[in-house]
Amino acid sequence: MHHVVLERWSQGASVLHRRDPRAKIAALMVFLVVLATAHRALPVLGVALVLLLSAALIWARLPLFRALARAAIVLPFSLIFAAVCWLTGDPARGFSLLLKSYLSALAVLLVVSTTPFPALLRGLETIGAPRFLLMVAQFLYRYLFVISEEAQHMTIAAASRGATVRGVMAGARFRAAAGALAVLFARSYGRAEDIHRSMLARGFLGRFQPAAALRFRATDAVFTLFASLAPVLLRAAVERAL
Amino acid sequence: MHIPDGFLSTPVWATMDVAAAPALGYIVRRAQRGFDDSRVPLLGVMGAFVFAAQMINFPVGIGTTSHLVGGALLAYTLGPAAASVVMSAIIAIQALVFQDGGILAMGANLINMALVGVLAGYLPFYLWGGGRWRKLAIFAGGALSLLASAVLALAELLVSGVPMPASVLGVSLALFVVSALLEGAITLAVIEALETIQPGFVRKPETGRSFALGAIGLAAVLLAAVGVLVASTAPDGIEKLGLQTGIASHVRSLVTTPLTGYQAAFFQTGWLRKASAGLAGLALIYGACLLIGRAVARKRSV
Repeated sequence: MHHVVLERWSQGASVLHRRDPRAKIAALMVFLVVLATAHRALPVLGVALVLLLSAALIWARLPLFRALARAAIVLPFSLIFAAVCWLTGDPARGFSLLLKSYLSALAVLLVVSTTPFPALLRGLETIGAPRFLLMVAQFLYRYLFVISEEAQHMTIAAASRGATVRGVMAGARFRAAAGALAVLFARSYGRAEDIHRSMLARGFLGRFQPAAALRFRATDAVFTLFASLAPVLLRAAVERAL
Repeated sequence: MHIPDGFLSTPVWATMDVAAAPALGYIVRRAQRGFDDSRVPLLGVMGAFVFAAQMINFPVGIGTTSHLVGGALLAYTLGPAAASVVMSAIIAIQALVFQDGGILAMGANLINMALVGVLAGYLPFYLWGGGRWRKLAIFAGGALSLLASAVLALAELLVSGVPMPASVLGVSLALFVVSALLEGAITLAVIEALETIQPGFVRKPETGRSFALGAIGLAAVLLAAVGVLVASTAPDGIEKLGLQTGIASHVRSLVTTPLTGYQAAFFQTGWLRKASAGLAGLALIYGACLLIGRAVARKRSV
């Protein structure tokens, strides 16, 4: 399934994987802002940044082409707007939309596929994101695929009972889908209560206890410095040269 | 409707991020207040439910299906603040794990869908959810939540200078209206099914709202949504006219050398102007919401 790939990628042991999540978040933000505010010489800058991210992907020992293909998930949305830009006589803006959305997605993918999700959330917590929200996000991520699979079972069960047969009244099928969703809702609610009870039974005191505290080492500081400087210098060089 | 990075201009995403941070903080504190820790797994699992709900297709018309978006449904069952938190967590996970929606644009996405979308969806239910028009309120809430977030997203794209000719804008608005009505219908159907299973799930809004106050609140939301859209199309249209008539030759030469300094400067001044107009509009809407909020609060305390 979709997430399993990311989960496997983020368990690697490369130099990038071992960096503190805060270092990677800081570098990501610098990269995104540099990209978002760039207006000149975009094609050349785009090539330079793709090469930079590809080098990082190889450095992290991730499958380069699969990562490049995964980031292309943003392209359908961008392509529609790029086509509109093209038709209204502004192909440069269309190109910029495609380039910026793709590169941003690739940069985010690089960070989340070198950082396990709980570590990423802990990094976000230490830089000031609301803890309650992050705990909700962690539970959401944990049960996302459990509930999704339940929904899949329900659709298969419904299909095997003839829910997709043509000619059945659309109104009845609509109500059946609503009923299925209501059942899923009730089950999820009940499951959440069970989870909470078993958490209490295991001594939950209102917050997660991380197994090991995050440590921002000197290597992390050096990494942050260079990873942040790389896109800035690339952009400065490209804009000076052209 | 998840805006990726690269679509919004710098003033727009920066403004939305700056606005989203305190709003999110407030909503989170609001959701925590009065709840114990048991809410944490509940909110997380219900977020997972909203994700999973996309897999259950509702047949609408010939060969097409639709699915639940869920902001309004969560607001009716968990309360508006908790629903906002759940939708925020969903938006964050979609941006991080699925690359659906940008990081810099997350402030905009949060405001569109998690804050305004959920609150607009809750408004009709809050006003009329206890009375004769309960069903209509549930339906209107689902539709309004989707419509408000869609119009906001469109307006942000327009203010950022993403070109949208009238025809494209018309088609997308029509599509949004249709999907808003579907969301309303699905929300209502699911709520009714839920109540036959177990009546306790849907929260009761406090009763005793006056009709006039509700009408004013709804009208304000609709006016704000439409106003943002109209305000952001008008300057864009004028600018485009200028481009086509006055400096059309420049534009042609720029096609071969994309985005040279001149064009960037032109856009930047345009951005500034439009961003300040947008901000002024936002301030007006904010003021209106504040006044209405005050009025509602006073009514409640009496």
